[in-house]
Amino acid sequence: MSDISENAITVSDVKIRYRVFKKISLLKTILAPYKYKKTELFEAVKGVSFEVPKGQILGIVGKNGSGKSTLLKAIAGIFSPDEGEIDLHGHSVSLLSIGVGFQAKLSGRENIYLSGLLLGFSRQQIDEKLDEIIEFSELGDFIDRPVKTYSSGMYSKLAFSITAILETEIMLIDEVLSVGDAKFKKKSYEKMKSLITNTDRTVVIVSHSSDTLKQLCNTILWLHEGEVKMQGSCEEVLPKYEEFMS
Amino acid sequence: MFLKKIRFFKDFKRFFNYIVFAVKAELKSEVADSFLSWLWWFLDPLLYMLVYSFIAVVVFSSNIPYFPAFVFLGLNTWGLFNKTIKASVKLVSAKKMIVTKVYVPKFMFVFEKLGVYGFKMVIANLLVVGTMAIYRVPITWRVVWIIPITLVLVVVTFGVSTIIMHFGVFVEDLLNVITVVLQLGFYLSGIFYSIDEIGVKNHGQIYIPGRVPEPWGEWLVKLNPMALLITDLRRVLLYGENPHWVMMIAWFVVGVFMSFVGIKIIYKFENSYVKVI
Repeated sequence: MSDISENAITVSDVKIRYRVFKKISLLKTILAPYKYKKTELFEAVKGVSFEVPKGQILGIVGKNGSGKSTLLKAIAGIFSPDEGEIDLHGHSVSLLSIGVGFQAKLSGRENIYLSGLLLGFSRQQIDEKLDEIIEFSELGDFIDRPVKTYSSGMYSKLAFSITAILETEIMLIDEVLSVGDAKFKKKSYEKMKSLITNTDRTVVIVSHSSDTLKQLCNTILWLHEGEVKMQGSCEEVLPKYEEFMS
Repeated sequence: MFLKKIRFFKDFKRFFNYIVFAVKAELKSEVADSFLSWLWWFLDPLLYMLVYSFIAVVVFSSNIPYFPAFVFLGLNTWGLFNKTIKASVKLVSAKKMIVTKVYVPKFMFVFEKLGVYGFKMVIANLLVVGTMAIYRVPITWRVVWIIPITLVLVVVTFGVSTIIMHFGVFVEDLLNVITVVLQLGFYLSGIFYSIDEIGVKNHGQIYIPGRVPEPWGEWLVKLNPMALLITDLRRVLLYGENPHWVMMIAWFVVGVFMSFVGIKIIYKFENSYVKVI
């Protein structure tokens, strides 16, 4: 059982900052340079460290603005931390359910390929899973129409289906545990559950729902204002978190 | 530095299939978008050629041989450079949907644009071939030089575009500046007039002096890569002359250097793009 010590995610002393001002303008810089001298920094994540062993499920809780989603995006590689390090030990990773981002003019089918290729899958791997994705998404003939014609429900169904069926070794799940209508919600929840409980897969879930986390997670990380407030088993952390939030 | 280079090639390999698919998909969606919209890939240069022919032939009484082919080459070549750079300014925010959800080395988007506009350039250049056939332009073996010249065009365009793309993320009015600069570049690249002389003086063949007085003409061809590329494409294709070898090699080196700098800054800063857009 040497596998237990094998980590899938190592986050060490990660700090992530946002600049408060957004963009600069050449014209404004020339005409009013003093306005841009102030560069306020906002630190969303202030030195967080944790490890997730392979096959484990970590839940992240915290109030709004505590840096949960920022941290998740950093693990997904969408942006790198300003300080510290995130090591995924060579595992493939995807942010589940929100999709990879679609090109509105292209058909659903083409977007499946684009998303898959972006996630690092080969044409062949996508070919193999294509039918399954289309079937799961319940889009029917719409799959060959441009994504811009989709309703928001159809859009998220497709997004979910792609990331759920093109499985990566590490899955990051941000909040939305169910999408679409009631029927699809149930189906996607079941699918997600089966993905999460697969022992080969490492999962990080951000959620506000203690019930969901209690059911699914091995350990819980409680973030508060960008710092780790508590880390431990569900039984240890969740009651205290609920008490704190009420 | 060597490691960075390896990372570039690794990333290029990893995302190559994505680029190819994205280029095809974008072209396909353009074709599918409206009936016969691909016709504009021809009509655009054709109509502009007529406009510039009027200006050049009627207003400035130009007597350049094979003038339509001359203008097409200028327009199509400039088109690739111009469109890719303009698209690069806002490219990261245009790809917001992808950038905020998955990691992609951002210079891949420049490759995507190069692929799309490159394909359109090739299609539009069929007009050059057509006009050359109509005029029965004598072909020499020097046409093979279009391959290295096109390579320099791609490298220079990529280098400039990656750098522009990076600054485009942070500077909100960069597009205004770039548009003016490109407009100037258009007039300084000899699209509808010849900067350089055509043919050799007192040689018994065609000879047309350049429109820009020396030494300015020479400097323009040397310092403006687009002027150089367009001039040399015409020389090898239409007039059976050799390209300016030294300057071509020099701009290739500069292009590679710019690409290197562009890729390096993108790798360094791309992860903060998401926080700005």
